[in-house]
Amino acid sequence: MKPIKTELVVLGGGPGGYAAAFYAADKGKQVILVEQERRLGGVCLNRGCIPSKALLHATELIRQARHSGNLGIAFGSPAVNLEQIRKWKDGILDRLSGGIGQLGKARNVQVLGGRGHFEGGRMLRVETQEGQKFIEYDTAIIAVGSKPAVPKAFDLGNERVMSSTEALELEDIPKDFLVVGGGYIGLELGTVYASLGSSVVLVEAMASLLPGVDSDLVQPVMRYAKENFREVRLNAKVLKMETAKKQIKVTFELGGAEKEELYDRVLVAVGRVPNCNDLGLENTQVKTTDKGFIEVDKTLKTRDPHIYAIGDVIGGAMLAHKAAKEARIAVDNIVGEASVFDSIIPAVVFTDPEIAWCGLTANEAKEKGIAVKTVRFPWAASGRAMTLDRVDGVTKLVIDPESERVLGVGIAGHGAGELISEGVLAIEMGATARDLAESIHPHPTLSETLMECAEVFYGEATHTVAPKRNTPAEQV
Amino acid sequence: MDVKIPVLAENVTSGIVVKLFVSQGDDVKQGDDLLELETEKAVAAIPAPATGKINTIHVKEGDSVKVGQTVITLAEAGEKAPAAAPSVAPATPKPQAAPAPAAPAPLPEIPAQKGSLQPAGVPPPAPPSIRKAAHQLGLDLSRIRGSEHGGRITWDDVKNYIQTLERIAFAPKEGGAAAVPSARKAAPEPVDFSKWGPVRVQPMSTLRKKISEKMAESWTTVPHVTQFDEADISVPQRLIETHGPAYQKQGARLTLTAVILKALAGHLKKHPIFNASINEAAGEIVFKDYCHLGLAVDTEQGLIVPVLRDVDKKSLLELSKQIQDLAARTRERKIALDELMGGTFTVSNQGGIGGGHFTPIIRTPEVAILGVGRAVERPVARKAKIEVRPILPLALSYDHRLIDGASAARFIKEFVQALENFEESAVAIGGDKGKKTQQGTAVKGKK
Repeated sequence: MKPIKTELVVLGGGPGGYAAAFYAADKGKQVILVEQERRLGGVCLNRGCIPSKALLHATELIRQARHSGNLGIAFGSPAVNLEQIRKWKDGILDRLSGGIGQLGKARNVQVLGGRGHFEGGRMLRVETQEGQKFIEYDTAIIAVGSKPAVPKAFDLGNERVMSSTEALELEDIPKDFLVVGGGYIGLELGTVYASLGSSVVLVEAMASLLPGVDSDLVQPVMRYAKENFREVRLNAKVLKMETAKKQIKVTFELGGAEKEELYDRVLVAVGRVPNCNDLGLENTQVKTTDKGFIEVDKTLKTRDPHIYAIGDVIGGAMLAHKAAKEARIAVDNIVGEASVFDSIIPAVVFTDPEIAWCGLTANEAKEKGIAVKTVRFPWAASGRAMTLDRVDGVTKLVIDPESERVLGVGIAGHGAGELISEGVLAIEMGATARDLAESIHPHPTLSETLMECAEVFYGEATHTVAPKRNTPAEQV
Repeated sequence: MDVKIPVLAENVTSGIVVKLFVSQGDDVKQGDDLLELETEKAVAAIPAPATGKINTIHVKEGDSVKVGQTVITLAEAGEKAPAAAPSVAPATPKPQAAPAPAAPAPLPEIPAQKGSLQPAGVPPPAPPSIRKAAHQLGLDLSRIRGSEHGGRITWDDVKNYIQTLERIAFAPKEGGAAAVPSARKAAPEPVDFSKWGPVRVQPMSTLRKKISEKMAESWTTVPHVTQFDEADISVPQRLIETHGPAYQKQGARLTLTAVILKALAGHLKKHPIFNASINEAAGEIVFKDYCHLGLAVDTEQGLIVPVLRDVDKKSLLELSKQIQDLAARTRERKIALDELMGGTFTVSNQGGIGGGHFTPIIRTPEVAILGVGRAVERPVARKAKIEVRPILPLALSYDHRLIDGASAARFIKEFVQALENFEESAVAIGGDKGKKTQQGTAVKGKK
């Protein structure tokens, strides 16, 4: 069979893959995008960012209604129609995925449906519905992403033990729901199910939720979880799971003792692993790390001179926007424009309230021994936060006391995910706290907290009384 | 205790260690000079802040140092010095004179640029567009000090850096070691003079580079006009002759320069615009109610202009002593940086060397400068008679943006009169006794 020749083949149609294919096409390359699933968009669109945010928004109505009594507006109990929620959510996914297909078509990017397998450094075999096809390429980009990790001990073959993929399908509202893992996936989905009425227990092996995130940012979420989940168990381990009729019997290790409990459903959210198996990488010079991620250099090129890799499959922060940026860097290098990844990667946890941060965190500064000054502005001092009845927030800046440059921004609070981009721009542009403080922020908005926080650095915030400046650099 | 480079003067953030006076283990007394630092303005000695023993020397001659940098660790008297400083080889008591690395080093080190360094582990503050371009050009942004708040790097900073690199790359090898990183314009393409005969190349000193920069800046930004005139200095000459010995007894030398400065101080009060500056940014004229006069001093290394403070408030005797002291210390380059700043008007007297009129360049932000040549005896007409008088050439360069030609003409004309009729009372030590009669004779007096 005669192979199809192309300049670039992109393996994987997620937020990294399609971004790479489109950008390369915009740069004049002839591109084939290979995707094994019916819908483009990858995990982000089909089983991750988008469906989870749809569910979080839908259930936020329930959370808000519960508290609206304080404001003098009370609702009765919500009537939840799971089928309608799923229909609404899936409608979004169809529309988005269709949109991506059209954007590809408009650029003459050929989408080939099927599973790809490398036959050599310059040849990809694709198992399509019409049979095998071979693609002979000049360059390939691997963007096959990751999948939820399911430890062997939890893999009972029982659909009541779910990964995020199944949990997002919202099969039913389990009465007793266990979330294993206090990372962002466990917290977000735990929030969805708790709002729908499940009695949620969350277990985390480490001493805090969202390990690694600055503790002052986690605090508001911890408070929410304690109020709305049945229990949050830190430093706790799940030893065993067994099928017990229509339930799952879970054995915990709690403070040295074992404990057994029954749950209607269990969500296992303990991390994600790269989709590196069965790609035929052994037929190329691509190397993987001991953790199974593909090894790349600064230009995102693998050990094989004709193959690049981007996104979750190369490790680091497993975030769609990181993959999309890497897509551009890989393509830049492929078309001969030197480019490396030197951007900060913002992170948002869509809990209630949201947590968002970018740049240097206080924790990192401490680890790296960088002297910084951390300043905070509590949302209790924000008029806008009060009118939203959401004073459970904090905005903070991590500042280099010498140059006054903003090195990191952290926000916990309602809509933090929408607010963080100002922080990203400030850091990327090398802005100083003075720049933030001197820029007029509209009143009354939550964005003012960034300006006031910068004012706190100079000891001159209008809506809070802060100690005077020139205190020695602290490491918080 | 750590000896750090102190704040030497405004706008001076770094310097080069030209000489180390001490070695490890030396005992020093408070005030002893530890090292000599050459900055772009002058050479300054860094004294020992306390009595003690030199523990560690962190720099060597030729090193570039910044304000606040620790250069020497001193064990204060009474404080125990560590038995043997472990980190420093005790076998080399002499400071190493920085052996110049022979062959390698394709590009000399760029001297430290102004502005704050970023802490380790933090990327340089430049927007993504500049970072991407820098990467494509192969530039290391952490070597560029941004000019904006927080050290933010702008496109102009990158351009200047590249131009500096190019200038250094194309400079003769021996002379390349220290370029002026702050210079705004690219240097003209170098000419290969050795094509036409043997040449010798010598690096420009920091001082020479600073002079060259300042002169070029003044000459290219200030519209200069130079007004010439001549003064009959019979009177001042006679006063100097008469009172010189009295001054000498007080340990001072009465010179024409001192008389000129004294006359100028009074004169500038009547013409304050010549003692002013332009604040272009604000669109304002700044009149200075003080009179600090710069005096150009010819030193081995080049022109240096120390400043005499409050000349209007000083007696001629005080002034004479101060001129002597300041000029001597300037020639030895022992002058403090502060003594080079804050001038309001400058005098360049070439009389000691010779020469007539010349066109001095204004020392911005001052707006005028008086150039003085050598007095020569010339026949002049006085009351229909030819007399021989000592005639002093004067040249007043002024900033035509601020000062009009008529004002300059009046200024110099009246100054000539002031000098020609210099009052003996201002010269006589201890007051104005019998000034009228003596002056009467003075006017007619002849050498």
